Amino acid sequence: MEQQTSEYVIEMLHITKEFPGIKANDDITLQLRKGEIHALLGENGAGKSTLMSVLFGLYQPEQGEIRKNGQPVKIASPNDATALHIGMVHQHFKLVDVFTVLDNIILGAEDTKLGFLQKKDARAKVKALSEQYGLHVDLDAKVEDITVGMQQRTEILKMLYRDNEILIFDEPTAVLTPQEIEELMQIMRNLAAEGKSILFISHKLNEIMEVSDRVTVLRKGKYVGTIDTAGTTKEELSRMMVGRPVQLVVDKVPARPKEAVLTVEGLTVPSKVHKHDAVKNVSFTAHAGEIVCIAGIDGNGQTEFVQALTGLEKASAGRIELCGHDITHQSIRSRSQTGMSHIPEDRHKHGLVLDFTLEQNMVLQRYYEPQFQNHGFIRFGEVRSYAEKLIEQYDVRSGQGPVTVARSMSGGNQQKAIVAREIDRDLPLIVAVQPTRGLDVGAIEYIHKQLVAQRDAGKAVLLVSLELDEVMNLSDRILVMYEGEIVGELDPKKTTVEELGLYMAGAKRQGKERESA
Amino acid sequence: MKEKTPLLQRDGTRSVLASLISILIGLAAGALVVFLVGLFNKSMSVKSAWEGIRLIFLGLFSTGRSASGSLSFGFNPVTFGNMLFRATPLILTGLSVAVAYKTGLFNIGAPGQYLAGTAATLFIALEIPSSSVPAWLIWILAFLGGMIAGAVWGAVPGMLKAFLNINEVLACIMTNWISANLVTWMFDVSNLKNTVENTKTAYIYKTSFNGVQTPKMLLDKIFPGSQVNGGIIIAILLAVLMYIVFTKTTFGYELKACGANRHAARYAGIKDKRSIVLSMAIAGAMAGAGASLYWLAGNTEFYWSTYQSLPATGFNGIPVALLAVCNPIAVIFTGMFMSMLDIAGQQLTALTAYNEYITDVIISVIVYLSAFSLVIKLWLGGKAKKTAGPKPDANAEDPAPAVKTAANGKEAGE
Repeated sequence: MEQQTSEYVIEMLHITKEFPGIKANDDITLQLRKGEIHALLGENGAGKSTLMSVLFGLYQPEQGEIRKNGQPVKIASPNDATALHIGMVHQHFKLVDVFTVLDNIILGAEDTKLGFLQKKDARAKVKALSEQYGLHVDLDAKVEDITVGMQQRTEILKMLYRDNEILIFDEPTAVLTPQEIEELMQIMRNLAAEGKSILFISHKLNEIMEVSDRVTVLRKGKYVGTIDTAGTTKEELSRMMVGRPVQLVVDKVPARPKEAVLTVEGLTVPSKVHKHDAVKNVSFTAHAGEIVCIAGIDGNGQTEFVQALTGLEKASAGRIELCGHDITHQSIRSRSQTGMSHIPEDRHKHGLVLDFTLEQNMVLQRYYEPQFQNHGFIRFGEVRSYAEKLIEQYDVRSGQGPVTVARSMSGGNQQKAIVAREIDRDLPLIVAVQPTRGLDVGAIEYIHKQLVAQRDAGKAVLLVSLELDEVMNLSDRILVMYEGEIVGELDPKKTTVEELGLYMAGAKRQGKERESA
Repeated sequence: MKEKTPLLQRDGTRSVLASLISILIGLAAGALVVFLVGLFNKSMSVKSAWEGIRLIFLGLFSTGRSASGSLSFGFNPVTFGNMLFRATPLILTGLSVAVAYKTGLFNIGAPGQYLAGTAATLFIALEIPSSSVPAWLIWILAFLGGMIAGAVWGAVPGMLKAFLNINEVLACIMTNWISANLVTWMFDVSNLKNTVENTKTAYIYKTSFNGVQTPKMLLDKIFPGSQVNGGIIIAILLAVLMYIVFTKTTFGYELKACGANRHAARYAGIKDKRSIVLSMAIAGAMAGAGASLYWLAGNTEFYWSTYQSLPATGFNGIPVALLAVCNPIAVIFTGMFMSMLDIAGQQLTALTAYNEYITDVIISVIVYLSAFSLVIKLWLGGKAKKTAGPKPDANAEDPAPAVKTAANGKEAGE
């Protein structure tokens, strides 16, 4: 191996990757210095994922060259990428649901002795890593039983476990709590300080500003530019990314709450993972014409609360009243018909039937209504024209319109489809759980505007969010959930992010002390 | 969209081609075996090997040997009718596997459901005296009884899956053997054993013994001398019914949604547990109907000692369904094809020194290949699938019309 002096550890030069009908990457150059944190910024569909897939050997570019330490390399498969010590935390987790966290981490890199797994050393190593970086996971829990946040941490540990040098984080913070994001930022800084090079794919401007050294911006498959983070602003970055000035905070007039739509009294939900209750004695009211937000760190009972509210799980005590009807013991279908639409937390698990077409998904909540069926026979014409209407109205983009298979759509457009479906049902209560998870600023702006418009149209919006920005910008009232309890009700205009953080972390609470179970 | 897509690029066309390729490779493998056997067997000549190969491909049209001793071919109403008769239960067990598969379930329990249907049908058809109840009514009761018994037997693994999350394949394997033993025991203690022709043991009376028989529905005029009866028409009607239920109705939509994503179906208010049980019950009803129609033909006797083997008709539903890519309409044709192989096997035995086991070779090759039919289908899709398929993320943001034209252009070019 000859002496080389390249300052870049990985270079992707003039990469062009075409798909039928589109250049996903058009002459893109990305140069990663050793020990830097390099952000790759772009909207959904800008070509970030494609570029990373090229680097990871999943696609072969039509043009361009990849160099490692100045030497041209050929990456024909993920195995080649692994051999070059390139590791990736994917946006959609690549975990085996029925394996434990530890098994997932060592999967593909297992130590064996005479064909038997040797997990002891692996366990010690993973434990050390998880403590070192504060990535708390339950090594023996099955992936299907843990929260999305913990699954993400498992993915990150997987990469750390493999001692990779070039680490690609594909939107790693999408589901982390503010504190966890802070920790992750610290981990990334530590890793960079140890000489690892990090590619950080994101469209969250705050994080990019905070942690990255340089930013490369892509837009619609084209290279826009690479700039030093220190010399730029969020506004400039968002303009580069979207191609127009973006409204980062949604405009809204003060709420004019009217009658109560949803009343929850003393709702208690048992936990599936431990013996205590996941949701303890939660009571609140949501009124027409307001956005009530349930804020909290992931895993504090929000998921269980929403499942009990929507009927996916049973509550052990308490009462839920919707539009004057007691729905505590009603089925999912009858709750929905009473007036509840639900934008679910996990769009792949609950929100969509991924193998169905877009039009079939668009009527998932309504296929049984007289508009779409006649004596049990689906009215295909109606379904098609309804789907076309929603696609047009909510700007849901897909390859083949109504007959696109949902699985093949981008995450942002999948989410838009769900939002369109749920909002268009025109019901008095909208339960929106992390409605902008993993979306880019353009899509977030859009969904936020939609939710505010629904509020102004007299709907009650119950927003469950982990994003502090979203909570502060969007809600009219904030309920903070900590360990299954509502520990405070805050007015976003009169509170600060810091105060909210204290409530979320359990350091502060309003009202009388309740004994902790 | 559909009318713009060239015929060769349609999903359906690819499925059909994939199945045809599987079938051709299977037949070719059978021909190869015939050839090799003929080559290494001193008593056979190249000519007899060639005859064997011709019978494999054209067995259905064999009319025996001409006066000069060479094979003759043409329309043979007997073999054709027998093919339809044997296709009847295969179509229905194929439907059983296919509809379950459409709802995300692998119904390997068709043999057990088939046996349950057999028992119910035979008991009803033979125990109700035709002297006091009209035969047509007994026939209807026996047919419905067979379907219901199959449905119940299918619902058991369905319930285990829905309520206890037990894998349906395991449950089906067990219910198959429970069924086999139960049926053997039931007939062993019954008074239905054929005592008239007592040279045979362990056989049950034909249903015609009680005067109960499926009407011929004029098919005996078209195929004189064969075993065919109206059962094939009922089987085809049931296939069409399944097609309609699964593609045109909200009920089918619910079952398919539940099969594709149980969680999302639940989220949308679909009763997921009920859907799973119903899917399996419908699958079981189809297998049960297959048994009913086979035995109600009244020209076959049931060998009741089943505790050591499960009916092959049940298992053959799997290749029938897979070859049809689980399309209920296609099942009609793949079912007929499988029974045609049976006939070809008979012709081999009757007309040449080969025996019918050659067709088992063909069937097993096709079974292997039918599992690959999806791969073949993707391969037929060629580059379009490879490049456009997995990464539409990039396409998604582009204005739709541009993508459409480009995609069509590409397809037309291929």
